[in-house]
Amino acid sequence: MHADAAGGTDELIPLKILIAGGFGVGKTTMVRSLSDIPPLLTEAPMTSASIGVDEADAVPDKLTTTVAMDFGRLTVDGSLILYLFGTPGQSRFWFMWDELARGAVGAVVLVDLRRVDDCYPAIDYFESRRLPFVIGVNTFPGSDAFGEAAVREALALPSDHPLMWFDARDPASSQAALVLLVEHALARTAVPS
Amino acid sequence: MPVYALTGGRTRSTVGSQIPVEALVTVTAAGLGAGDLQLEYSKTIQLAAQPVSVVEISALLHVPVGVARVLVSDLVAAGFLEIHLPPTGGAGPPPAVLERLLEGLRAR
Repeated sequence: MHADAAGGTDELIPLKILIAGGFGVGKTTMVRSLSDIPPLLTEAPMTSASIGVDEADAVPDKLTTTVAMDFGRLTVDGSLILYLFGTPGQSRFWFMWDELARGAVGAVVLVDLRRVDDCYPAIDYFESRRLPFVIGVNTFPGSDAFGEAAVREALALPSDHPLMWFDARDPASSQAALVLLVEHALARTAVPS
Repeated sequence: MPVYALTGGRTRSTVGSQIPVEALVTVTAAGLGAGDLQLEYSKTIQLAAQPVSVVEISALLHVPVGVARVLVSDLVAAGFLEIHLPPTGGAGPPPAVLERLLEGLRAR
């Protein structure tokens, strides 16, 4: 078990992974299928600070400026706790990604092949921040109609960039996507570039 | 309820603003013996009977993350909570931690 106030052995370590992608692509579904707890909802971090004190003061109803963000939690082992954050895909919320991305293991970018464009902002963001990410093509009707090569081309992804088809509703499938990400993150630590 | 009143209007100060949202807290012996505190402080201490993160405190108490940070920051400063920060400040976790994560995920 984890260290307690009396002095245990293993120090508690929090980790986080971002689940990104366009609206309705399955981020919440994936968080729900993986989380040990019912997913929770909170206001976006740093909302008021990012807007700026003066502007925040000027907003009469603060609720209009907040962003709902859901997250889940996995107890990986006795002292390792992993948080999964479903990150809003709209570009106007990027200010909050910076804080969430800081220190993260990486991100799973979900793709709906019926709306491929929706994932571009997420891919651009993680590439620019050099944060490890993998592509999870969520299985919606028709997603089998495209081959891997076509998807890589549409996403401008190198042939060796981790990509997999998965089902966000299925815990085992979602977990496989997390494993793919952690393997990728680990490989990157071995070869700093 | 004006939540900012809970922390004396200090949520926009720099106090605790650097605490990562996933940082965990656990109650200390002093925290268990803490006397009368404002309700939100008491609730935070109760939640920390098990390891709980800043973002969970925010969600469970229905307060913005900034308020949860100040609650945690104050309680850590008072010695009532112990904070457990992520392994690194800016970059990702070190390889040894990633290997544990991988092993743990595969074992689920």
